[in-house]
Amino acid sequence: MIAKVTLTVNGAARTVEAPPLTRLLDALRGPLGLTGAKEGCGEGECGSCAVLLDGVPVNACLVALGQCEGREVVTVEGLGEPRHLAPLQACMAEHGGAQCGICTPGMLIAAESLLRSNAQPSAVEVRRAIAGNLCRCTGYDRIVASVLAAAEALRATRGASVSAGAPVRGAAE
Amino acid sequence: MHTGESLRPSVGTNVVRVDGAQKVTGGARYVDDLPPRPGELHGATVRSRVARAVLRGVRLDPTFDWSDVTVVTAADVPENVVQLIVDDQPVLAAERIHHRYEPVVLLACADRDKLARAVEAVLLDVDELPPVLTIEEALRARDVISGTDNVQKRYLITKGAPDIVRDAAPSDEARATEEAILRELEACEVVVRGEYSTHHQEQLYIEPQGMIAWWDDAGVHATGSIQCPYYVHKAMKRAFHLEPERIHVTQAVTGGGFGGKEEYPSLVALHAALLAKKSGRPVRMIYGRTEDIEATTKRHPAHCTVATGCDRDGTLRALMMRVVMDGGAYVTLTPVVLSRGILHAGGAYRWEHARIEGVAVATNTPPNGAFRGFGAPQTVWAIERHLDAVARELGMDPGVLKRQNLLVTGDTTPTGQAMRGEVGIHECVRRAFESSGYLERRRLGAAVSGRKARGIGCAIFLHGGGFTGSGERLLKGKAAVDLAPGGRLVVRSGSTDIGQGTETVFAQLAADAAKLPLDRVSVATPCTTYVPDSGPTVASRTVMVVGSIVERAAAEVAARVAAVRQPGESFATAGDRLLAREGTVTSLLQYESPAFVKWDDVRYRGDAYPVFAFMCDVAEVEVDLDTFEVTVLRFWQAADVGRAVHPLMCEGQLEGGTLQAIGWALSEELVWKDGAILNPRMTNYIVPTALDAPPFDTMLVEHPYSEGPGGGAKGIGEMPMDGGAAAIAAAVEHATGLAMNHLPLTPERLFAHAGARAVEAR
Amino acid sequence: MSVVDLPRYPFARAGSLGELCSLVHERCASGERTVLLAGGTDFMAEVSQSPRRDGPLPLVVDISRLPELGAIEWDGRTLRLGAGATYRELAEHHAVREHAPLIARMTSDIGGPTIQARGTLGGNLATASPAADGVAALAAYEPTVVLASVRGERKVRMADFHTGYKRTSRADDEIITAIEVAPPPPGSPWHWRKVGTRQAQAIAKVALGAVAALDGTRITRLGLGMASVGPTTALLPKTRALLVDGSPRDVDLAQLDAAVAADISPIDDIRSTGAYRLHVAKALVRELVRSLANL
Repeated sequence: MIAKVTLTVNGAARTVEAPPLTRLLDALRGPLGLTGAKEGCGEGECGSCAVLLDGVPVNACLVALGQCEGREVVTVEGLGEPRHLAPLQACMAEHGGAQCGICTPGMLIAAESLLRSNAQPSAVEVRRAIAGNLCRCTGYDRIVASVLAAAEALRATRGASVSAGAPVRGAAE
Repeated sequence: MHTGESLRPSVGTNVVRVDGAQKVTGGARYVDDLPPRPGELHGATVRSRVARAVLRGVRLDPTFDWSDVTVVTAADVPENVVQLIVDDQPVLAAERIHHRYEPVVLLACADRDKLARAVEAVLLDVDELPPVLTIEEALRARDVISGTDNVQKRYLITKGAPDIVRDAAPSDEARATEEAILRELEACEVVVRGEYSTHHQEQLYIEPQGMIAWWDDAGVHATGSIQCPYYVHKAMKRAFHLEPERIHVTQAVTGGGFGGKEEYPSLVALHAALLAKKSGRPVRMIYGRTEDIEATTKRHPAHCTVATGCDRDGTLRALMMRVVMDGGAYVTLTPVVLSRGILHAGGAYRWEHARIEGVAVATNTPPNGAFRGFGAPQTVWAIERHLDAVARELGMDPGVLKRQNLLVTGDTTPTGQAMRGEVGIHECVRRAFESSGYLERRRLGAAVSGRKARGIGCAIFLHGGGFTGSGERLLKGKAAVDLAPGGRLVVRSGSTDIGQGTETVFAQLAADAAKLPLDRVSVATPCTTYVPDSGPTVASRTVMVVGSIVERAAAEVAARVAAVRQPGESFATAGDRLLAREGTVTSLLQYESPAFVKWDDVRYRGDAYPVFAFMCDVAEVEVDLDTFEVTVLRFWQAADVGRAVHPLMCEGQLEGGTLQAIGWALSEELVWKDGAILNPRMTNYIVPTALDAPPFDTMLVEHPYSEGPGGGAKGIGEMPMDGGAAAIAAAVEHATGLAMNHLPLTPERLFAHAGARAVEAR
Repeated sequence: MSVVDLPRYPFARAGSLGELCSLVHERCASGERTVLLAGGTDFMAEVSQSPRRDGPLPLVVDISRLPELGAIEWDGRTLRLGAGATYRELAEHHAVREHAPLIARMTSDIGGPTIQARGTLGGNLATASPAADGVAALAAYEPTVVLASVRGERKVRMADFHTGYKRTSRADDEIITAIEVAPPPPGSPWHWRKVGTRQAQAIAKVALGAVAALDGTRITRLGLGMASVGPTTALLPKTRALLVDGSPRDVDLAQLDAAVAADISPIDDIRSTGAYRLHVAKALVRELVRSLANL
């Protein structure tokens, strides 16, 4: 049985023809050519395959492609590119959050999800947000530090753009 | 001479890791991310499923369509041996089954579904034999599965009185040395005896084992997840009887190793290459998580029997330790693991008299192998817990007892190695104790609040950098630096970056040595066709040993450019002219072991390591007195790393290693039944999550090593694995009074140990 | 390896609950099996990890976006939790937080954020694992399970729903559509404690959910649910009988321990031991009683 599924991946409409119970992970890594999401366990334990599905972090190994018709998927490739890193990505590289890097795509997705809803998370909130992502290299402290640094960087950028872009009452008067 | 280039040193700064951008964008290509090669097949392994048996034969279900399935058995292997220390492990089992997950048949097929069905259509005819599954059964030797007595390796270290009698009675050294140490123990004011054991540990790198192999006119190619490309190279050379230049082994970006990808990938590569050879197609072999946990190597379980003698004031005098390790079904790296274990058994302490015996036995369980720490965590657990017991006996604080017996400059270890230069352990202890308030909090006793009790504990330890004794001299590790157009340098080495940051650190060392900016240096992908054999990426030797070769080679290349450089000319212009003139400008150097290292491989005497790194851990835990759950609230660690080439990554190594120790101590446990692993999944082999991990206070202490690169770096990759478990056990004891001598400290084990002492609360 | 099974499964998507009921009924009548797929946290993992299957595979029907299953509604007396609402949705919903705070709290102990984003109460109920955190917490509210089929709607008390290890009283052609909870007034005491294999991504060794109402110091209502101590979620009837109508300050602890021991039948497995579970079960109930006594 082959299904034709149309979904949005990293902002672009894509169509995949594959068996409907193909794992979203396999669809991404195979026909969609996005190998950023990794398979570490195949049972939703390690979080290396995490992607955003309609803005919510999920394990792509537990989602059937057939469930994704019309949905929006964001993978690590959708966060930024090597020459234009998103602040979160840059902080993960700069603050020691990535060692072997295999958990990093999933960590970034979990952290991205957090930062979209919480601009000023505490260290414990960061730990809760990444609790479904196993890392065997770092001891997690540097990942937490990376996400906190990204939150600060994002606040600084947003603060700057608000003050630059917002009309200042009285200035024109 | 003014170079005109940036002179700001890179060593000692936290430059962004060179592979960072690729890793945070999903661009880094791990083996299973590599696109399929034309005609590629999937490979699978048919394994034994019984722990010990005579293999009568292999049958293929005649009702199955085998037309598009490649089948490989032992008969297809030119020489059926996995090259390592002892030639006991076959590439595929031929006549005997020695463990439950032993590979017997290999299959390849383009269709993964059909491949899965084919695995089930292979029938193994076996006559089962009673398996030997534990250290105790192996020592009893009722069933002999290895040699004449199941013993894979023995070592003896002696110092003081046992050492003197050893030379006098070489034929009877075991008995004579034992009698001598017992006499010394008897002469001591306080003698304490104890037994301490440790369990298996799975590396659980998040990327499973994987390899792609193919053959062409150039020979065989294997690309995969590996720590040691030249191990794979040597294994291929042996099994296929190939000329070295016809073997091309390449490391893909590797998702963690921790020792688990030291020797095992040789087997994966041989298997993939066998299938590729027979099918004439490229073969991709990627392990599933369950297969990976079941079949690959783990940390050796160990049982240590300890007796020590000391003065009533706590001055340590005599140490007797017997270390027995479970090597598993084949020898693999067990002798080396056992060696490192006994070489660290005395801890960071001064002993006048010592007798340390090591024994490794075979069992019908998958071969145990390399895992960060490599034998030392087992013996450090024993000696640290034992000193906690001695302190209990003396009514002293264990941290105080340990501190007063630490090695100082000029003191000797049990092998007679004298401590050269400043012994950094004292500063480590001082900083860890001060920042944690260890002594004050120990004095205050456990902090009990409701049904929770908090305690604090410490461990103090050392770890030798590089191969043991004459190992580096025999190994002759090499590395090269090439001059490339535009004044660039390319570092070529067989040392792999498996996450620890090798590429970045090598680039830093080369850049500083050549006085070039960091971005002028690149590090070549480890491929045996192009990089020299630097020795394996193990043993805390990559920065300290290979890094020092890289540093010298880079300096040499820079000197050759400098020699032709004209006033006002840039390094790039001079370099390009030199290149045009000479074609290639390369410095290929070999490691030179420091002249002061003297080692007797027969008697196990002398300088076991050129230098030791040191560390002090302090753990604060909270124990739930009802459920016996242990929460690590905070963890302080101070480590003498010689010189931190990249402080952030150095701290990352220490923290990651310590969390592996915490997992080993508290939750990681393989459940065995009849030689099978009952929990080969991430859902039931329990490693710490971000919510289980404590915040770390990591302190770098820098007492440079005279021969270390970057101004004195020591090897530190393994050390953090050594002491965490003992620090936690001491803290648990402080909180609850439960003195645990056997790992792991799961709630169930603490509860069972507490027994009647489980306090009933209103 | 049997991730290779997944592409072979036939698949359909339900457009409406009525359509789904008909489809499932027809398949039952002709002896064909159907799997309803919501978050996939059980099914996808189990198929991937289990041995390869030969022979006909069940039809997998995606119900993850059926509007009839996703709603969470509060009508002033009853909280109706759609069986397909995810744990993440439950945790964020104001009515759940106000009227069933134990459920909102429990969700944060399920797996990790990625599991919470997909897992559903309906899935937990249908799988009927005694280790399910969600079912233990839910049980404390003494809820009613709402089932739909071509025959219409049927409501079953949760106490009668789970009939054995991974068995329920749901007919093969019935679909769990919602769970109805009649909660005690806001502010009523509740209690949740999970003892798992680790702090996240953990399966319960023992977990206890409790919801109470007190009149002065007298316990007037008490619902209990305990995970991983028997073939089904334990409702601890003897423990409850001992506590209801009494004061938590006057409980005889020996009697309490005995009641807990009589209510459960914990076993040894790869995650824990029966002896430890019994000990912890007693301790968690004592903890509950302490917290009620200290109100």
